[in-house]
Amino acid sequence: MGAAVRLEGVRVSFGATRALDGVDLHVATGERIALLGPSGAGKSTLLNVLNGSVTPSAGSVQVLGADPAALPGRAARRLRARVGTVHQHLELVGALRVVHNVNAGRLGSWPAWRAALSLLRPQGVAQVAAALEQVDLLERMYERTERLSGGQRQRVAIARVLVQRPELVLADEPASALDPALAGRALALLSGLAAERGGSLLACLHDPALALAHCTRVLGLVEGRIALDAPAARLTPADLADFYGVRR
Amino acid sequence: MSGALERPVPVPATGAATAAVPVLHRSRARWAWALGALAVVAWSLAGAGLFSGEVLNPAGARQFARFAAGALSPDLSGGFVRVLGTSALVTVAYAASGAALAVLIGALGAPLLARTSWGRGRSGWAGWALARALVAVPRGLHEAVWGLLLLNVLGLDPWVGVLAIAVPYGAVTATVFADLLEEVPRGPREALLAAGAGRGTSALYALLPAAAGDLLAYACYRLECAVRSAVVLGLIGAGGLGYQLSLSFTSLRWEQVWSCVYALSLLCVGAVVAGRAVRRRLADPPPAPAGERARGGPRLHRDRLLTAAVAAVAALVAWSWWYLALDPAGLGAERTREQLSLLLAQSWPPRVSGPLLGSLAGAAVETVQMSVVAVALATLGAVLVSGPAARPVHRPGPVRGVLGALLRLGLLLLRAVPAPVWALVLLFVLRPGILPGALALGLYTLGVLGRLSAEAVEELDPRPAQALAGLGAGPAGTWFYAVAPRAAGAVLAYALYRWEVAVRDSVLVGLLGAGGLGAVLATALQTFDRPTATSTLVVLVLLTCAVDLVSARARAVVR
Ligand SMILES: Nc1ncnc2c1ncn2[C@@H]1O[C@H](COP(=O)(O)OP(=O)(O)OP(=O)(O)O)[C@@H](O)[C@H]1O
Ligand SMILES: [Mg+2]
Repeated sequence: MGAAVRLEGVRVSFGATRALDGVDLHVATGERIALLGPSGAGKSTLLNVLNGSVTPSAGSVQVLGADPAALPGRAARRLRARVGTVHQHLELVGALRVVHNVNAGRLGSWPAWRAALSLLRPQGVAQVAAALEQVDLLERMYERTERLSGGQRQRVAIARVLVQRPELVLADEPASALDPALAGRALALLSGLAAERGGSLLACLHDPALALAHCTRVLGLVEGRIALDAPAARLTPADLADFYGVRR
Repeated sequence: MSGALERPVPVPATGAATAAVPVLHRSRARWAWALGALAVVAWSLAGAGLFSGEVLNPAGARQFARFAAGALSPDLSGGFVRVLGTSALVTVAYAASGAALAVLIGALGAPLLARTSWGRGRSGWAGWALARALVAVPRGLHEAVWGLLLLNVLGLDPWVGVLAIAVPYGAVTATVFADLLEEVPRGPREALLAAGAGRGTSALYALLPAAAGDLLAYACYRLECAVRSAVVLGLIGAGGLGYQLSLSFTSLRWEQVWSCVYALSLLCVGAVVAGRAVRRRLADPPPAPAGERARGGPRLHRDRLLTAAVAAVAALVAWSWWYLALDPAGLGAERTREQLSLLLAQSWPPRVSGPLLGSLAGAAVETVQMSVVAVALATLGAVLVSGPAARPVHRPGPVRGVLGALLRLGLLLLRAVPAPVWALVLLFVLRPGILPGALALGLYTLGVLGRLSAEAVEELDPRPAQALAGLGAGPAGTWFYAVAPRAAGAVLAYALYRWEVAVRDSVLVGLLGAGGLGAVLATALQTFDRPTATSTLVVLVLLTCAVDLVSARARAVVR
């Protein structure tokens, strides 16, 4: 099986803070990985390295067989369109209707004229409706996004990656504002999305039970380094409680 | 629709939603306003003669080229630079004393315009509404119009320039001050009143401190605007840089014209930079130094920079008073009073003959068309430049960096030069009519609106745009989905505000010959046809109020 991600000695610094401090990571295609770790450990930074929005100061990055920072403009865009992210702070545009925020997932493949036209007359409505139905938000399709609750917005962000249909799905606490039932469903959707295209999933999670239920492998990040890396099948909730306990 | 782009979403086997898909309901009001605005713009462009007949004047191309060439070789000879220095002092002196007087008028007038000071009940409301209506008269007339009117009363006196700024600015400042005071929460003041404090002292302790920052910031902003107005007044004869500019222009000395333009730009940059520094400081005061807190006992800590700024402004006002040799006695002199009563007697009643009303209506239509074309072009231009002119969050590449700096400089030149000067330049290559006036106003408005729009873009949270770039969106997609929807409201609101300003300014361009109500007014004043002038002024004020109302309604819809 090919490698979805290969990181070697990756370091990221923000001023004096070392957000990632020598991370080596190899993700095979088809793996579903839960990323655990205390707040400030560097989880979001790791995902941002993978989707190309943060360039490391040292180390080598290979995502879906290429280094996002080394590619020229168009090729970099094509690579980015194959990586989908549910951001921790969602990064939706409140002033747009839900349908447009979901359609934004397709900006990597749409030409500019189609993107502009869609704002006047929404394009690909059937796909948007299908994605919204999966996150139980169909009836809010034409609402302005700023009128939605926090959990509803989170589901809009998930619907956005559903229509993007990436090969590598990155999810930064995608269920943090959802009730337990919806949270389970959201994770099932994301791992189903990855599996459907033979892709991989990397999700930051704070809930060990969710991690064990939906993922094949668990990574623990502490102060920018990988401190735990084990198949989910070999871990128990008690082990994970220990992992967090070590820090306290 | 191509199959590659329309891939079905995985989980439901059908690939389409099973529940009923909602129907898109568009906001009727917004669409109606948008279509209405487009229709008005098209009508105005037609009125400006864009779709009919010749608008270009090829004969003037050579003169225009000579003018443009002057940009690279401004007159920097010692003698002329000295002349420019003295002129700049005059301009600054008019601006400072005019703005200071305006702030004084504003502070005294604000209580009269605040709803709370008129008491409850119907009579209170009527009094307040009357006060607001009365203040629309000084507000609705351009500084230059006030200048010309005051010239008739005071003759050649420095008070003309000072009052021409102070009267309209004072009216606006009073309204804004009143609104700012109304916004302060009532609770604290009512608590003081209940505890037996008087009306004045309770305002001093509970109203003023809460509003002080905003009041000072607005006063600063007015001082910046006053510099521009002082230049415009110079164009119609009050001296200073504007006067020098018009002298150089009429003698066709392009190198000198450009030196004036650069001097104006420097002056405007200076005013804006200083004003912005003070406003930033007011909005975000620095914390008290930690060392001082440690060094035993609390101490009253004043912000040095603000104290210095207030002292400097006070000194500047005192100096300008002295420099212009303003004499309060001149205002109350016997001759002034005679002139005033003579002017009033000659001006009343206004002329209401049929033909005059007809031509006034035509001129009002021209004025509206001129302002609409100006603002439409400026808005279009501002939307186009706002992205590249905004300072990017990350360090830009060399091309982007240079392009941005050049655009910002260009916008600065556009707004530093008064609109009438642009009109004169455009008259080299365009036939006279409302089009050159509209374009000139448009260029000037673009300078203002472009900067405001770039600032609106700069203030956006960059992360949603970064998220879209992260999923492969190109620059256009990112702009349409992350930048435009969030900046549009602010930019449209600014554009509507500038429309009111453009109506007022179009009178100024008209005074110098570009048609519309300004041209009618200029003729009436030159021929001492006072009743016609009065009618024109009344139409002008009514038009300004109408535009004010429409713009306020449109802003409510945009929001
Ligand atoms: N843009 C930034 N500028 C400066 N420092 C940053 C930035 N992004 C992250 N950091 C720092 O890097 C470290 C790791 O941040 P990161 O967001 O990756 O943590 P996290 O594991 O996602 O935390 P959380 O669980 O709270 O989301 C933190 O110390 C943070 O302050
Ligand atoms: Mg995080």
